Amino acid sequence: MVLAPLAAFVIAVSSVRGRRASMNTAMLGAVVTLAATLLVGWGLARKTTGFSASYVYLTANVGLNGPTAFQNFEVDIVLHADHLTVVALAVIELCFIGVLAWARIAARNEPGPVRFQSLISVFLFGCVGALLSTDLAEMFSFWALAGGATYLMLAHRWGDEAAARSGRIALALPFLTDLFLLCGIAVLYSRYGQQNISLLVPALHTTAGWTVRQIAVAAVLMFVGVAGRMALWPLHEWLTGTAPTAPPAASAIALAAWPVVGVTVLYHLLPIFVASDVQTMRWLVIACGASAVGAGLYSLVAMEPRRALVLAGAAVAAIGAAITIRGFQFHAFTFAVAGLAAVYASAPARAAGALAASNIVNAMRTEDMREMGDAWRRMRSSAVALLGVAVALGVSAAGALAFGVDSRSRFGVVLGEAVFVLAVAGMRAFLATSSGPLRRRRAFDPDRVREAPRASLSWPYWLVVASLALTAASFVPAWLGFLDNGKHATVPASTYALWVAVALAGLAAAALPIGRNKDGALRASSGLALLPERLELAARNLLGRYVVTPAVRLVEGAERLVPAADAAVGRISHVSGRYTIAALQTGDVAVLVVMGVLLALLVALLSPAVLR
Amino acid sequence: MIAGLVHSIASQPFGPSPSPATVPGANIFTSAFILSIAIWAPVLMAAVIGVMPNPRGRYDTLIKQIAFFTNFLVLFLLFVAYNQFQNFLPSMQYEENRSWLPAIGATYHLGVDGPAILMLMLSALIGIIAVLASLGIRTRVRAYFALLLLTQACVTGAIAAHDLFVLVLFWSAATVPLALLILGWGGPRREAAAWRLVGYWGAGTLALVLAVVGLYVASGGTSFDMDVVLKNPIGPRAEVVVAVALLIAGATRLPLFPLHGWARDVYADAPIGVSVVIAGSASRLGGYLLLRVLVGGEPDGAKLVAPLVAAVAAITVVYGAVAALRSPDVRHAAANLALIPGGVTALGLAALTPLSIAGSVLSLFAGGMASALIVSAFATLSDRAQTRNLAVLSGVAARMPKVAWLTVLAALGLLGVPLMASFTSNEMTFFGAFKTQPVGAFAVAAGLAVAAIAVAVIIQRVLFGPPNPDAPAVSDSSLSESWYLGLLAGALLWVGIVPGGPKIPGTDTPLFDPGLVNQMVANIPEISAPYSGTSATP
Repeated sequence: MVLAPLAAFVIAVSSVRGRRASMNTAMLGAVVTLAATLLVGWGLARKTTGFSASYVYLTANVGLNGPTAFQNFEVDIVLHADHLTVVALAVIELCFIGVLAWARIAARNEPGPVRFQSLISVFLFGCVGALLSTDLAEMFSFWALAGGATYLMLAHRWGDEAAARSGRIALALPFLTDLFLLCGIAVLYSRYGQQNISLLVPALHTTAGWTVRQIAVAAVLMFVGVAGRMALWPLHEWLTGTAPTAPPAASAIALAAWPVVGVTVLYHLLPIFVASDVQTMRWLVIACGASAVGAGLYSLVAMEPRRALVLAGAAVAAIGAAITIRGFQFHAFTFAVAGLAAVYASAPARAAGALAASNIVNAMRTEDMREMGDAWRRMRSSAVALLGVAVALGVSAAGALAFGVDSRSRFGVVLGEAVFVLAVAGMRAFLATSSGPLRRRRAFDPDRVREAPRASLSWPYWLVVASLALTAASFVPAWLGFLDNGKHATVPASTYALWVAVALAGLAAAALPIGRNKDGALRASSGLALLPERLELAARNLLGRYVVTPAVRLVEGAERLVPAADAAVGRISHVSGRYTIAALQTGDVAVLVVMGVLLALLVALLSPAVLR
Repeated sequence: MIAGLVHSIASQPFGPSPSPATVPGANIFTSAFILSIAIWAPVLMAAVIGVMPNPRGRYDTLIKQIAFFTNFLVLFLLFVAYNQFQNFLPSMQYEENRSWLPAIGATYHLGVDGPAILMLMLSALIGIIAVLASLGIRTRVRAYFALLLLTQACVTGAIAAHDLFVLVLFWSAATVPLALLILGWGGPRREAAAWRLVGYWGAGTLALVLAVVGLYVASGGTSFDMDVVLKNPIGPRAEVVVAVALLIAGATRLPLFPLHGWARDVYADAPIGVSVVIAGSASRLGGYLLLRVLVGGEPDGAKLVAPLVAAVAAITVVYGAVAALRSPDVRHAAANLALIPGGVTALGLAALTPLSIAGSVLSLFAGGMASALIVSAFATLSDRAQTRNLAVLSGVAARMPKVAWLTVLAALGLLGVPLMASFTSNEMTFFGAFKTQPVGAFAVAAGLAVAAIAVAVIIQRVLFGPPNPDAPAVSDSSLSESWYLGLLAGALLWVGIVPGGPKIPGTDTPLFDPGLVNQMVANIPEISAPYSGTSATP
């Protein structure tokens, strides 16, 4: 499972030259990985314990005394495949295969195909490794590798200045959050000397000197690290910023894979989080809830369909994360896995959304939803896929909510609101692009708008179908039982109906304003978009004014000052040397005596204090 | 000194190594003078090259071959020594101890511990790579390669020295051939570069001399031997002064902000082979000095200046990244980026935990390789593109794919991405540093994030941006250029993928042997005190 994508990468880099060959190689890597995953899944079907394999990667003795945990530094490649990770892997691999198959036809003109396909293989390698890891250092290695590949994929169109600029955010923001994750792991290591999660968790409250504060700090740092890669609002900019500029396949893969990897890693880390305190867990749940609502609202004012869909998907990921954390917090894992099931269900839909929306944007040659329309007539396939995406995103969290949330609690109200808003946002993207007239613009003839190549059209559908199938599965307690080997109580049909109704209400609510007055509705959301845009601009200005500019000025000042200072010292020593030589030549005893006295004084003053 | 050495060699019976190994693959080669050979063989061959007649460059190729095979021999010897090295031995190995200047207590005392053998491997590998990088030298070939071999000898001597007097001699001597190499074969600003090198490294040497004299006087003025001088307790004030002096000496070499003034000019204007030596091994001597003498010898002093070192490390990393981002010259940018591994090394030394120190030891190796690779890759790129101006350089990847990929590998190695040696060293350093220097560790990590942006911007612009039609013609790297860049990248990848390092099959010596750390921890229990818990429950 781990080596297949790596082998694909090595083959692609070392011996593949053409576009088709590179695509075939990447596809082969993904298919072989999926086959291996299914094989492992088959082996696990009748087992409750997972398969494990471990290899020593690094063992260094770094001390001969002190606590034994700190005398050795070990990084082991510990791979553990259980039901949950196998399902997560299968979801990711299906998304990879779907997107690769789409890219085979629709991304024929993408520059640097070998580089791009190689990076996809590296990304898959990193994702597989991160999901299977139970050693924190190992997990971070794969995580960082996948992160690096993600950046290179998103910034693939290097020649385009806009792509390069947005790519920098795709590098800086997640890199920073990755550092939070690393710091969290480092905090834990510095206290417990242990990186293997299965050994670390029992030691959390039994190691001498443990403090709640330290675990809480580590938990928060690691949560930020995971949230950054899951692109939860407000850490979403690296995905929304690159959505219009990155290759659609790169965007789709990142959108589908990272939430799945992130939420699964979060699930693995939650036993550590739980060991902190109730207050920390509560704040993490609140953060996820706020993120879900914030992402949904932000999506409502996004004027670019791909951004709107990214944000709607981020809301689902936040809902899933919130339910997972809450499940660990109060109910001893019984429904935590429902949150994961929701995120898994939404992943293929997010990939499909990116592909279908990019088909429409490319055909209509605009990124502004106000200038779009009539896709239902002109680009039926993509429009239907987009409708499917809206429905799948809307209902994907319903099962999780039914299992994990009391509809009358404040938590339930908040998440219900998030579901409603994200359903509105998803439907809005579909309606804005598919309904209403497509107006003529300068250098744009609506009659020339046509569907993407036929052979690529089916893949977004298949992804939507996969998403709906996973959503349906998330309503079934047996599915959750399969994921976590636990027993899950059946939920009354009315509860399911309630949450599905909330999603459907959201879908319908979007149709009302856009159906009545599409231009007015989009104008209103564009007006509302000014507020977050201004806030964003103000934040950037503040950052630039108080952090970036002073830092750059300081560095530039040092760049000037250091050479000037050393040149001055050089000149002074040169002059003093010449003066000394001149004094020696002219026999100026007085000068020599003065210099000797000064030197003697210096030594006399310093030496007793120094050598005491 | 040479006469004394010859005499002592002549009077020493040949026999097994002072540290005979028992592991499989050991004892295939033994010599009591393995360190002396590693030091003096390059000197001898430099002398041979120096007196060799070479009318109108007739024997240029032969001279290059002599330089290459001399370094190859040294690498082979050290590889054997490395594989015979006894892990966990609480004493120096391959020791040579001869009386030299009894009047002042100076001895010709050489010996290596874990970090030292690793540094020697680094130095020897860099020596070969430097020769490969210098194959394009066409003028005054004899003098160039003689000076390069002398530099190699000085670096090896400074690493192997176990007597402070010998250390100071080799440490200071390294400056001379390097300055001459820059003056003779450097770029347009070679004079400024050479004088800056002499000025900064001279100031560092002065600081080291002050520290050594201070230690010598404080220990009774009878011996310069590290075993005597560093084990003698001195007063707290003297500790501070010695620690600060050592910090200045180390910071001028490594280099650390604000004593990095030489780096930009030297890396930008030195010939590529010389840049490789300076970035790869000569500058790492600064970190090695801090490790061996400050942390290993004066741990109390090290503890006192630890916050300062952590702050300097963080500033160096952030400064290097931002300065690279603002630099208009690709070689200046590389020079600024090459400061970053030094900052990581310094952070590990500031943290003073066993893991962070072990991380620093590996960081000396990985950082040396990464610095040498980034400096030489950008130098080769600018040579092949016929310009250093970042405003002109754009989109060259398609026309120089080999250089482009090697430059990308250099950038990844510098940032410490997984599968590169620097990842392992950075990880160990951070994990070790978080207990005692959390702010410094986080600041260095944030600096690496800024460095990632700087690297992304430069690579995007230079390699993958839109091609500049007005730029001069571009060509890809030659075979020798590909080889030396490939060797550096390969070493980083090899150690990153297999951190156990190069070993004869069957042996069990990790690459970054923690011999020194073990000795230190054994001597100073409070080094591991931060890990000891005080209360059972919160």
